Formats: sequence, structure tokens, C-alpha cells
Amino acid sequence: MSGETAITVSATVNGRRQTFTCEARETLADALRRRCQVRGVHLGCEHGVCGACTIRFDGVTARSCLMFAPQADGAEIVTVEGLADGDELHPLQEAFSRHHALQCGFCTPGFLMVAQELLAEGGPLTEEVVREAISGNICRCTGYHNIVEAILAVADARSGEAEK
Amino acid sequence: MKAAAFRYHRATSLDDALAVMADDDEEVRALAGGQSLVPLMAMRLSRPEVLVDLNGVDALAGVALDGGHLRIGAMTRQRDVERSPLVAEHLPLLRTAIGHIGHVTIRHRGTIGGSVAHADPAAELPAAVVALGAEMVLASTGGTRVVPAEEFFDSYLVTAVEPGELLVEVRFPLGAVPARHGMAEFTRRAGDFAVAGAIVLADVAADLTVRRARVVPMAVDPAPRRSARAEELLVGRALDDGVIREVAAAVAAGCGPVDDIHGSAAYRRDLVAEMTRRALARLRQGAGE
Amino acid sequence: MTGTRHGHEPGVGGVGAVVRRHSDPALVTGHATFIDDIESGGTLHLAMVRSPFAHAEIKGVDASAALDLPGVHAVLTGAELVRHAKVQPVGWEHIDNQRAAPTYAMAVGKVRYCGQIVAAVAAESRALAEDAAELVEVDYEPLPVVHSIEDALAPDAPRLVPEWPDNVFGSQTYGNGDADAAFADAEVTVSERLTFGRQFGCPLEPRGAVATWERYTNRIELWINSQSPNRVREVVAEVLGVPVSGVRVRVPGIGGGFGSKANYYGEEILCCLLSRLTGRPVKYIEDRQESFVATSHAREQRIDVAVAATRDGVITALRGHIVGVLGGEISSVGMGPVWLSAVSIPGPYRIPNLELSVTGVLTNRTPYGSYRGWGAPKATFAMERIIERLARELGVDSNEIRRRNFVRPEEMPYSNGVFATLDSGRYEHCLDLCVERLRRDGWYRFREEARAAGRKVGIGVAAFVESTGIGPSRVMARLGIAQGGYDEAVVRMDSTGRVTVFTGQTEMGQGMSTTLAQLCADELNIPVDQITVVMGDTDACPYTGYGTGGSRAAAVGGVAVRQATGELKRQILRVASHQLEVDVADLEIADGLVQVRGLPGYGRTLADVAYAAYRRLTDVGEGTTPTLQGRAVFDPVALTYANGCAGVVVEVDPATGGVTVLGYVMVDDCGTMINPQIVDGQLHGGCAQAIGGALLEDLVYDRNGQLLTTTFMDYLLPTAMEVPPFSTVHVETPAPNTPGGMKGVGEAGTVPGPAAIAAAIDDAVDDPAVFVRHLPVSPEQVYRFCNAAG
Ligand SMILES: Cc1cc2nc3c(=O)[nH]c(=O)nc-3n(C[C@H](O)[C@H](O)[C@H](O)COP(=O)(O)OP(=O)(O)OC[C@H]3O[C@@H](n4cnc5c(N)ncnc54)[C@H](O)[C@@H]3O)c2cc1C
Ligand code: FES
Ligand code: FES
Repeated sequence: MSGETAITVSATVNGRRQTFTCEARETLADALRRRCQVRGVHLGCEHGVCGACTIRFDGVTARSCLMFAPQADGAEIVTVEGLADGDELHPLQEAFSRHHALQCGFCTPGFLMVAQELLAEGGPLTEEVVREAISGNICRCTGYHNIVEAILAVADARSGEAEK
Repeated sequence: MKAAAFRYHRATSLDDALAVMADDDEEVRALAGGQSLVPLMAMRLSRPEVLVDLNGVDALAGVALDGGHLRIGAMTRQRDVERSPLVAEHLPLLRTAIGHIGHVTIRHRGTIGGSVAHADPAAELPAAVVALGAEMVLASTGGTRVVPAEEFFDSYLVTAVEPGELLVEVRFPLGAVPARHGMAEFTRRAGDFAVAGAIVLADVAADLTVRRARVVPMAVDPAPRRSARAEELLVGRALDDGVIREVAAAVAAGCGPVDDIHGSAAYRRDLVAEMTRRALARLRQGAGE
Repeated sequence: MTGTRHGHEPGVGGVGAVVRRHSDPALVTGHATFIDDIESGGTLHLAMVRSPFAHAEIKGVDASAALDLPGVHAVLTGAELVRHAKVQPVGWEHIDNQRAAPTYAMAVGKVRYCGQIVAAVAAESRALAEDAAELVEVDYEPLPVVHSIEDALAPDAPRLVPEWPDNVFGSQTYGNGDADAAFADAEVTVSERLTFGRQFGCPLEPRGAVATWERYTNRIELWINSQSPNRVREVVAEVLGVPVSGVRVRVPGIGGGFGSKANYYGEEILCCLLSRLTGRPVKYIEDRQESFVATSHAREQRIDVAVAATRDGVITALRGHIVGVLGGEISSVGMGPVWLSAVSIPGPYRIPNLELSVTGVLTNRTPYGSYRGWGAPKATFAMERIIERLARELGVDSNEIRRRNFVRPEEMPYSNGVFATLDSGRYEHCLDLCVERLRRDGWYRFREEARAAGRKVGIGVAAFVESTGIGPSRVMARLGIAQGGYDEAVVRMDSTGRVTVFTGQTEMGQGMSTTLAQLCADELNIPVDQITVVMGDTDACPYTGYGTGGSRAAAVGGVAVRQATGELKRQILRVASHQLEVDVADLEIADGLVQVRGLPGYGRTLADVAYAAYRRLTDVGEGTTPTLQGRAVFDPVALTYANGCAGVVVEVDPATGGVTVLGYVMVDDCGTMINPQIVDGQLHGGCAQAIGGALLEDLVYDRNGQLLTTTFMDYLLPTAMEVPPFSTVHVETPAPNTPGGMKGVGEAGTVPGPAAIAAAIDDAVDDPAVFVRHLPVSPEQVYRFCNAAG
């Protein structure tokens, strides 16, 4: 049961190459938290429904609680820790704070990762589109109102800039 | 919620995967997108001894047009199927169906093969492949066989896939089924599995006469099945409200839903009739133009 | 004191300002610390063996196979536990005939609900601990299951506590006037039996604890994501037989609480004990599936409610009988939430004759405890439903009935003779604002147009009051609550002129550290960013009687901070007065200076005053104590009553029973608002929980006492698609008994929504035979409403 062999995994996490050993059964979420010290990956359910553990895996969002750590070998991973540029917050992070789009903040990393992907797709954003896009993520605190506002505000600022 | 221990094998090729799958001393399972399997493992409801990760087998992913078939590799991500121009052109139903699966993040990893092999009767893709008359290509070290979708699904989470076998491809014959589709489902929340749903395909003439039809209710049987009675009622008749109601009633009468916390069997029966009605109404919209 | 909000200079960020929360940067970058982030070397991880039976005798536990597994350090069972631990205290003993049902941190001899802890396994990793937990063999002898109220109250019911004559934990009746006579004489009476389903707070971060029992100092350091660190500290000390000073409770960031984390539980006791037994730090993180069986449940009640009234809708009497479906063990709040439901039914209305009763029955379910709103959502559901019923009976608009019965501002303080003394509020004004906002947002017109097009759209309104700012300690003690309701605060200025607030309150996302800083900033007239708030450490922070809950953090904790700041300010001015040789009365703090009133710029910087008070005592008057620190204890003289009104717009799909919430107006009077943005956030979140509670969230048991909803696929929390944008309206009637006027806003959002949604569904279905009597109302039920004939 225990005597299983440790597996060595090497992945790029937020731009840095990280090599660690783990058990096969360790989820990627657990490995990121415990082996790579990226604690912004939060676990709200460990069965794929709440979205708090969302990361960017090889370019697209994925739930890190639904992957096993060995699957990350050779992968390119971005977590919420990788969003800010040094001390400069990502515009979404800034907007979440300004619009009070977080209370306890436990869900926030997941929302930010999904919102970032949504914005990167570049389509026109309406309230409906934003709500649909974040509907895979659960927030128990905010009632979503301000999360939607924050994302729309960043989208508006971007389209404003594009028009200039 | 930590999975029981297992051995992990990252398959490098289909042959490599099949060789490990062939081990019949241990319980071996394929890992596709993990969006259904990993939660089950976390809850220790599934406890394979060996996990064969198919995510590195590039040959299993992709959408290709090949003679009379559209071939979709089992490991093709649901999101890639949804966005494939070939699928949009030839199998618009697939695109609609996938749009109902969970959320984009789930579809990024979830695969067509994983959903079909998982065979949840409330899932969209199993019903869609039955409606589309798809063929399931199964491989093992002993060779390859093809199982029609209608014979593939046995019951709740049980399929024709034998130990040692992998689903490698879902093959859609083009032109063999009606082109126009309608789909409707009722969920408790956005992105949830359907409480009941229906998929219909039909060829409809300018005067709304139905020439061919396929009707597959969702979440009301242990496995997705066509409703023969509903199809009979459609063919040769004009798709008017009366016929739609009749067909909806036939679907409801012919299915075998069960009670669960999201609804009783009786309610599901009524719901599937309503979903059939909506699916047909959607199909009719724009038909006959 | 309420006047001070305009007295400070712009940019201070005092009361009434939108100040961005200083906790945000760490949270949005993923660098905040939550309980699962706390782990020192050598930590062992706990997994629990939980009962698969709802009711069973434990014949034996064999842990030998588990202990044989390499990496497993200890397995603790109930038989061993009782050698080290006393029973878990119940904080609420307020029902006259309340019985005692000794509950330990884990099952001892018997399990009374599915998921109750039977053994705790400590191992090198959580996965390993779970492996070992599977190997613990428990010999159960199943007993008959008490599933429901009817089961529990049946004459031949199996008894959960064999020593009791029945399954009733406690029962009490409260009255005022003569309800019997009023009902006998009434022109109209209506009555209803209502039920509310089982739900729970379900914070996104589950509960967790990390304990280190230091062998040589015999001190316990317990990290826990609790809303009530001081209570936990006392409970741990009491249960484990160590002095309170031997327990240090520390609270990291909390990923949501909602009352779930205000109760205390067995798991933290097991962490401490296993730490002592293994000599290692021991960590337990509840997983999501466990949370459904192990975190306190709430809400489930049966409510019989009736009113007597005159033909023109003046309510003359109210009867309300509530039975709460308690679990198999008693939680730390006893039957407090059920009791509060019963005594709160009269709400904002003037009803001279009252007969209210409460009964708590044991069933083989998870213990019943706190969830945001406590008794208020069900009380409001009962009162507002019966008003709707009366309105139908009389053929008048329900808002008209409300208006005729509201307690008017000039009647306050108004005591209803049972529990509440309504202190302040403009209830009719709130209702007017709600209707006006619904109109302004176009909802009445929308409803008419939609109906004309054959759609089923409805609008429902519910008014509420909610007892907040718990609470006056002496009243609480008289009630039988083993905890004071006061708060202590310490505010210090350091030698550089910066200020630190020390509080016993906790931050769980509700922005407490920011609002407390704002109160301090307001009082001192210094920028809020010069203030640090320290919380969550019982060694460093002051005592709070009750912890963070009961909408009390601002209304009680905030006042304590304000008063301690006032004391600090007096000391600052005293030092400056000596320095400047100016009378204290002529000094003020402004622009970072202590300056002479009317002579801007003439004074000393705060930094200089502070430096003197600590490091240049020649500059400080003889007899003045060095250092600058204010301390205050605030004990409110009475509860206060937040109040308001919700207006909800829904559309019902008659063909599926699906209900869509289209619009949601929330009018709230939380007294003085410290930070309007945070107030809005609290309301939004509460309203979303109201939607979940009315339409989605249901803890469903089968007849064997098995919980069927133990995943997020089955227990349905609302997502952004089930929740509409919210339209909030604020009324600020200062609380007369709270210095500063705050009433509290933490729970209000959850309170009127369920009743309003029920009314909106009735309105949408628009059939005299249809009346929502149970929440959450499922699509299937709504479908039956719409298709009653079929
Ligand atoms: C939050 C959430 C919401 C969801 N909502 C929906 C929804 O609304 N509708 C819906 O249909 N689904 C939904 N899903 C499930 C999702 O669609 C899964 O992707 C799908 O069911 C399984 O696909 P997978 O690729 O992830 O397979 P996996 O989880 O990896 O595998 C599923 C099963 O299939 C087997 N398997 C996989 N591939 C093969 C193969 N090639 N050959 C043989 N066996 C194989 C595995 O061994 C396993 O038993 C949801 C999932 C989540 C987490
Ligand atoms: S923790 Fe991964 S989705 Fe909830
Ligand atoms: S902010 Fe607490 S869960 Fe979203």
C-alpha cells in the first residue's frame, strides 16, 4: 500500500523550472501546494466542482485537483502567484480589490485564472457572458455581483484602450 | 479525499498503452481527461491498481475527415471538438451537445472518449453518439473491433469495452443520419448534469414532412437509447404541434427513469416529454425555409 | 458620536468611507495564509473513521491492522478518549427544562449520526491516514433510526438517549397578553404549517486545525480557522483539563465562516490530544465530503403559525410553534437557533397577544448549530408567509397588511413582551423604498408585460427585523448562555506614531480588520493606512465574550475599539498638552499633528508626541504614565435590531418548474455604515445564500439516516448563473444604544430573501390553490404547483 515508488516530476511553475518527487496518487493541486510552495492553489472540494484550484496548464485552465502530479511532467503551469508582474498587480487583481470582488478570498485565485482566460480570448463581454464563464466557480461570500463588475471593468478598460 | 495508491504509467504510444491494459492480474484503468475518474478515485469509489495515462498519446487525438466518416480520436478534448471547423460543418449537434457539458475549464481537459467510455446516462455525449449513429472503435493487443453506438452502452456506467480494451476513436458516418438537430435539457444549475433532456435529428421537407428521424432521450434510462416509437410517429408526418406533442408523449411513455434527489421518476417522465417537445420545436425553427 | 463622520478631513478613511481592504493584495496574489498553509516539520495528519450507520452500538474497535501500517503513529478511539477528555460543553442552556446529553469529541460507545467520529488516525500523510482509517475494524450493532420529527415524537419511538423518557431535548412556551382570547374573538384567523429544509453554512474553505502540545511547557498551541478563538481556548482548556493560560489559539485567514466556524467541535480536541500522545504537531483538514456530515447543520424546522386579525387587517394575536430537528448530539449552541426562530416570529410588527413555543427533538442526523441568520430567516419566513395568507384571506395587498401592523418609529423602543425590544428603525419607509426601487428598476412594468405575453413572472416582498449586536452580557447570563456578550479592545500608538488595534474579533472575509481600522481612524482623525489591526491570537489579543458572529463585530467589537481609541486619544492629548503648554480642551488631531484648535499647523507631530511618551520622558508631564495605550470593554445595554425589506422578482417555467431569480432589491438599515462597499458586499453574499436556501440547498437524508448529499454535485450552491445582480438600498437609522450607531450587517442578507422568494413564486404561479409552504422549493414541487390538475 505505501511502499510505492516515488516519481520525479519536472515542470515549469510560474516561469521557474521545478523538480520534485511525489507519490503517483498525489493530485497536482497537492503537489503544487506542498512541493512547489504555491499556496494560492486552494482546495474547496477536491472533486472538481468549486474551481478554487484552477490553474493554467499548458496554456488553458484546468482543475489541479483533477490531475495527478505525475501528469505535470514537462508541463507549463501558471498559478495565481504568476499573474502579478513583480509588485504590480495584474489589472484583474487590481479590479477585484477595487470592486470588492473578494471577501474571504479563498475562491479568488480560481476566479482570477478563469477571468484571465476569458479576457485573453478577446471576445466582447456582456454581463451574461461573464456570468456564464465564471459559473463553474463557486464563491460562497460575494454573491458574484462584484466579481462580474470587476471583470467587466477590466474588459471595458481594455476596449477603451483599444479604441484610442 | 485522497486516492488509494496505484501505479502510474504514462503511455507513450497506443501499443504501449494496450500492452499495459492487457495485464489481467491487476485492475488497470485508462486515464483520459480525469474529469470523471479522478473525483471517483478521490472518494475511493474507484481504486485501480494501475493507471494508464493516455494524455501523452498524440495519435489518439484529432478530428479528421476520411471518406464517408468524420473520425474523432478518443483523446480529443471536448473543447477542441466544440471548436473544430470540421465538426461545425458536419456534426453541428456535437457542438451543441458539448456546449452543455459543465464549464469551459472542464471541457479543456475532458475528452470525447472519456465521456463516452464513462457512459453516464445523464451525459450529453453518449446520447449524441447514439443519435448520430457513431461507431466506436475499440482496440486491444488482440486487434481492433467496431461497435455501433447503439450496442455500446449497456447500463449505468457499463459499456461494451472489455478489460484490456481501449476506446480509440469515435467514427461518425456522414449522411447516414438526418442533418438537422434539436436539443434541450433541464438542469438544476448552469453546467450541471441533465435532470432530463432530449436530442432529435430529422430531415424535414419544405412542407415540414419528416423524412427521417432519430430521437434519443437523456437521463431517463440506464443507458442512452433511441426511442423507436417516437421515430415511427415522426416519419412521414408534418412536424406540427400535434405531432410534436404525440412524439413527446411517446418518448415519456417509453423511457424508464428512476427517482433521485433531483426529481422523481414521474417528474422526469414529464420533463423528458417537455424536453423532446422543445428539441423538436428548435429543430423545426428555420426548417422548411 | 454619529456626527464625527463628517468631522474628519478627507482621505482619512474614517466612518462612511469606501476604503480598500488591506487584506486584498495578499489574497489576490495567492499569498494569504489559510489553515491548510500552516505546517511545520514533523506534522502528522489526521483522518477520521466515521460511522457509516446513523444509530448503532459500538461493540468493539480493532485498530491493529491500521497501527501496523508503516507511517501510522496513533489511533485514538472513544474508549481511550474518555480517559483524557471531559464532555464537550454546551454554551446555550437557556431552555428551562433543557436536558443534558453528554457529548464527547468523538463517539463513545454509541454513534448517533452518520459521519460521527469513531476513531482518529494520525499518520505521516493524509493519504496514509486515510489508508489506515480503512483498516480500522469497527463492530457496529445497528439500532433503529429516528428519521424525522414524526419518528422522534411517536409514543413508541426508539430513544436516542435511553435515560430520557422521549426524544425531546427541551421545550418552552413564551407568551404575552391573551392569545386564546384574541383568537376566540377574532374576525379572521389564518393558520399554516410550514417547513424549512436542512442546510448549512458551507464556507468554501472547510474546517481545519493544527495542534502542538508542548511536552515540557505543557502548553497547547492550536491553530484553527475558528470565528471564536477565545471560546475555543476555554473549551479546549475545560475539556482537556489544562489552565486557560496553557492554551494559545491562533487564527489564520479564514475562508468563510457563516456561523459554521463559530461552533466548536470535537476535531480540535482530537488534534490536541493526538499531539500529546504522539509528541508531534497534528493537523486535521476536513475534506469536502466530511464537511457535509461533520460541520453543523442548520435551518431545519417545522413551524405552525397562525394569526388572528380584524377585517381590516390589524393583527391582534400570533401563535407560533416551532419544532427544531436537532441532530443526534447537541452542538455547542444547544437549541439556540431554534429558540431564536420562535421568539423572533413577530418581527417588525405590533402584535399585542403572543403565544410562541419551541421544541427541540433529537434525530439521527448531524448536530444542529449556527448558520448565518440563526433563527431569523425561518422566523421571517413564518411571519411573512402568514401575512401573505392573511392578505389572501382578506383580499388586500400584503404590503397594506404590513403597513397596518408595523411598529412605528414613534412607538420605539417597543417591547413585544416576549423577547424583542425594537429600538429603532423606519420599517414602513424601508418597505416604501423597496417598492419604489422595484418600480424604478422597471420590475412591475416588466411583470405586466411578461404576463401579457403568457409568462409567469412574480414579485415577492418580505420585511424583517433581526436581533443584532449580541449582546448584553447580563441578559445573556440570565438566559443561560455561558458566555458574555461584551468585547475588549486595546489600541496602542507606538513610539513612531503608528497605531495598532488589538481585538478579539476575527476576519473571515467580512472586512472586519478594515472596518475596525476605519473606526479607529475616525476617532483619531489619522489616515486609515497608519493603522494595523492585530487579531486571531489569544496570547496577544484581548478577550471577546462571544467571538465573531451574531452580527456583533462592528456593533460591539467596533464600539470597544472606538472607546479604546478614545482613551488613547486622551493620553496623546495629555502628553501634547504638556509639550505645548496648552489646555487639552484646546487641542485637536489633524493633518498628522496634535495642534491648537484654530491655529492649524501650530502643534507637534504625532510622531513627536509618541516619541516623547516612550523615549523622551522629560517631555512628558510628571505623573503621566509612559507609553500610549487605550483599553476599553464595551458591553451593550441591549440588543439592537437591523431591519429592512427584500423584493424579489422570479420567473417560473411552468413546463419544468424551473425558477429563475431575475431581480433582487435589498433595503437594509444596519444603522451607521462604516464602509458602504463592505456593507453592500455583506448584503450580496447573504442574498445569494438566501437564494440557495430557498431554491437549491438541501441536505437530504434517507430513511436509514444516510445523508444523500455529500458532494457539490448534490448539495447545490448557487453559481453566478442562479444569482441576479443585486440592487441595494441603505437606510441609516443609528442604533440608539450603540455609541456610533452601528447595528450590524453580517447576517441581514440571508434573512428576508427566503420569504420574499416564496411570495414571488406564489405571485408568479398566480393560482389561489398554490401557496409555498416548504423551502427549499424544488423544481418538481413548482412543476406540481403549475400542473396541479395533471
Ligand atoms: C464540475 C464538472 C461538471 C461536469 N458536467 C458535465 C456535464 O454537464 N455533462 C457531462 O456529460 N459531463 C460532465 N462532466 C464530466 C466530464 O464531461 C468528463 O470529462 C467526462 O465524463 C469524462 O471524460 P474524461 O476525458 O475526463 O475521462 P476520465 O475521467 O479520464 O475517464 C472516465 C472513465 O472512462 C474511462 N476511459 C477514459 N478514456 C478511455 C478510453 N479511451 N478507453 C477506455 N476507457 C476510457 C476511464 O477509465 C474512466 O473510467 C463534468 C465534470 C465535472 C468535474
Ligand atoms: S478543489 Fe478543485 S475544483 Fe474544487
Ligand atoms: S470570497 Fe469567499 S468564497 Fe469567494
